[in-house]
Amino acid sequence: MNRAISAIVKKDMREITANRQLLLTIVIVPLVLTLVVPSIFLLSAHFAPQEMGELQELMRMMPEEMQNKETEELMVTLLFDNILPLFFLIIPIMAASVMAASSFVGEKEQSTLETLLYSPLTVKQLFHAKVLSSFLFSMLVSWISFLAMLLLLGVEVNVLTGGMLILGINWLLVLGLLSPAVSLIAITMIVRCSAKAQNVMEAQQKAAFLILPVVFLIAGQFLGAILINALILAGLALILGLLACLLLKTSLRKFSGEMLLGNR
Amino acid sequence: MHAVAMEQLSKIYAGGKTAVADMSLTLEPGEVFGFLGPNGAGKTTTVKVLNGMLQPSAGDCLVFGEDPARNPEKVHALSGVMTEHAQMYNNLTGMQNLVFYGSMFGIGETESRKRAGELLRQLELAEAAGQKLSAYSTGMRQRLSIARALMHRPKILFLDEPTSGLDPESAHNVNQMILNLAKEQGMTIFLCTHQLRYAQEICSRYGLIDEGRLLTVGTLEELRDGISSGMRVRIQADRVPDAFLKENVCDEHEKKKTEAEIINFAAEGKGTEIRDLTLEITSEDEIPCIVRQIVEGGGKIYHVSASRPSLEDIYFALTVER
Repeated sequence: MNRAISAIVKKDMREITANRQLLLTIVIVPLVLTLVVPSIFLLSAHFAPQEMGELQELMRMMPEEMQNKETEELMVTLLFDNILPLFFLIIPIMAASVMAASSFVGEKEQSTLETLLYSPLTVKQLFHAKVLSSFLFSMLVSWISFLAMLLLLGVEVNVLTGGMLILGINWLLVLGLLSPAVSLIAITMIVRCSAKAQNVMEAQQKAAFLILPVVFLIAGQFLGAILINALILAGLALILGLLACLLLKTSLRKFSGEMLLGNR
Repeated sequence: MHAVAMEQLSKIYAGGKTAVADMSLTLEPGEVFGFLGPNGAGKTTTVKVLNGMLQPSAGDCLVFGEDPARNPEKVHALSGVMTEHAQMYNNLTGMQNLVFYGSMFGIGETESRKRAGELLRQLELAEAAGQKLSAYSTGMRQRLSIARALMHRPKILFLDEPTSGLDPESAHNVNQMILNLAKEQGMTIFLCTHQLRYAQEICSRYGLIDEGRLLTVGTLEELRDGISSGMRVRIQADRVPDAFLKENVCDEHEKKKTEAEIINFAAEGKGTEIRDLTLEITSEDEIPCIVRQIVEGGGKIYHVSASRPSLEDIYFALTVER
């Protein structure tokens, strides 16, 4: 049944890229988070470092070896190693939510879910195919955003400071473990809601709450309350990975054609 | 092995509504079975239970030996289902939709395209193959759904109101296609409809359902035999013996009492009154006797026609009885 599963993944991808409104939503958030915001930050740090006085307090909380760096260099390090990796938790949640809501609740809304359920795939296989398409899509958006960011910020840093961007272990942990884990959690939460949600908007609204913990984590970076490091990220990845697996498993047990379709 | 076997099957929804009640029925392979009843009678629910979309509340059912409640995916591999709620993707073309559903059944793209092309041609949709579904009319969507249900060449085809929304010509073509599928490929057809006239054109056996209960099952002849009146004769004549307006028409045949009824009393021409009668008779043998009695009584006959009860007549007779 690999052919059927890959057909669903391809169809979902084609559907989301054909929907301009959804595509725009998915493109704008990563564009702002990974290109616009860091560029403004970098330019401010270069041209008006004195304007960023509020951050002096934060810099004093950085590890000692970092405090020896120049303000601008420190700002780049803080931005690149502490703040930007967390944006890559928002992006997969957002992309996965939009995709999962559209692919699961959207099928229900368009009355195409019943047709899918008449296929010789088990509900479990269908569920896997749908989760897979949302997961692949969110990872694709994350990686494209990462590459675009790397390219633009690399050029900007080089032009402004003459230095190079060096990828730390934080990035490996975020892109390799944390980002897939939060993406899976977002998809599973949406899919769990989808049984009750009657339209895409309702499912997306429920998913919006998932962003909150990540927002707190980002705020923590600015306030210096919890500065992320490899250990924190690895711990988070482990917890969230386990949570994602648990959610996936329990969701699957609840699913049946009758539950998905309701009593129509 | 039966194509479909239901044994005291019931479905009660969570709200307490009984959609199917104690239904027992078997279908043989290759049969064109008309599952007839008004909207809300329980036809679609039965199809959903038979395809594992809904779990039965009581009783059992098997489709070609497979239990849909336990192994719905095995039933789906054997069955093609077309219902009002099983729609396709608006942003894909007719051809893309069919190829997608073909791949869901493990059919390769080349073979899917070949099958889709053939089905689109048969259902007069070849010209619209490249159009997005959003541009399709209701009738076109309906026909594309039939094509979709046939993509994997199922052993049994469940069709829920396949001709609703179709113009008479398209409805006739769809009916012919269904008939050919049964005749040429031995496909079993489970046809749900409230359009009794279309069902009568193609079905070999019928099940009449109302409020979730199966009222009767059988061939048209068996259903006719099951209701009190077998045949009717309509006569228009200017003078009719009084006997026709009262009771026995042909005592010598010793058949059951027939009733004569004046359906319409019309005055035509100069002072000539033509009576329009419909008499219930038990066999065609009674017609010459009736005609002879009118002629011998000095009456002129303008019209004689015999008719057998249609599915509609049988259906109404059965629902009135309830």
